Amino acid sequence: MIYPIIGVILGIIVGFYLPLVPQAYVKLLSVALMAALDSGLGGIRAAKEGCYDNQIFISGFFVNALLAVFLCYCGIRLGIDLYFVAVLAFGLRIFTNIAIIRRLYLKK
Amino acid sequence: MFQGKQAKVLMVLVCMILGIMLSTQFKSAENAKNSISQQRVEDLAERLKTAEKDNFKLKDELTKLHEQSGSAAITRELTNLRIKAGELAMEGPGVKVTLDDSTVVSKPGDNANLYIIHDDDLLRLINELRAAGAEALAVNNERLLDISEIRCAGPTVSVNNNRFSPPYEIVAIGDPKTLESALRLRGGVIETLKFWGISVDVKQSDDLVVPAFKGTRRYDFAKVKVGDSK
Repeated sequence: MIYPIIGVILGIIVGFYLPLVPQAYVKLLSVALMAALDSGLGGIRAAKEGCYDNQIFISGFFVNALLAVFLCYCGIRLGIDLYFVAVLAFGLRIFTNIAIIRRLYLKK
Repeated sequence: MFQGKQAKVLMVLVCMILGIMLSTQFKSAENAKNSISQQRVEDLAERLKTAEKDNFKLKDELTKLHEQSGSAAITRELTNLRIKAGELAMEGPGVKVTLDDSTVVSKPGDNANLYIIHDDDLLRLINELRAAGAEALAVNNERLLDISEIRCAGPTVSVNNNRFSPPYEIVAIGDPKTLESALRLRGGVIETLKFWGISVDVKQSDDLVVPAFKGTRRYDFAKVKVGDSK
């Protein structure tokens, strides 16, 4: 459990020294962030359930994030606000994941 | 929970990416708070584009109309009117008057106000220049016209709604000798100002430039009298 936390802290420190993202890409980045958060929580949940698989976790992390960014980008091109859809869907999943993690912790 | 060293390294890497995303997003959100919102920028850019397009079209139209009405008499009349309206910069001989606040230390009990330049000092000087036949006047490169005000604005003097602080530089185009002697009359403006230690410097010159009026005239209330426009 310590490795993911070390990773996140390292990432935050590195991110503070990186240049700013241009305003045009902020929406895309936020969607990717939601997808990444969802994958991270999904990984914790899987670990708690005892069926964690490294490959599934890592592939899910990148594929989800990239797909979300791609969809959002298409939406901007087409004039459809897919951004909100992505944020809503990932938001719902994050909440369910958190609920399940909480329950698993309480059951223990 | 996790098997193998490689899996751990990968896990740390993935979580690092998550952290990088988190902090960059946080930073850009902070940045967005400080700058004008993206929506507003796009809106303004759009408006600027349409305004520029309109401007271009109108300029085209203007040149076309100029060509149509290109008769010499009208052009001459137009230039004449623009000179009268102060829309053209003028040059010629005249005087340049530089005023600066007094360097004399005011005696205790004296009114310090008497040692600095006021709007009415400038007004008296300009009035004298006008009486002596000045044809074009400017204060600190601000053209003086019939609608120009010279008025006290705190520690500064406001001319054409622009504020200036000392030194004031008044440029008058006209007969240099007449203008200077009008200012140097015994008991005249300069003598009064010198009494309070205000430094006045009058220089005759053969090539002075008075800039064009930069502001706009508005007629919100005054209308042309019915039947008075030919």
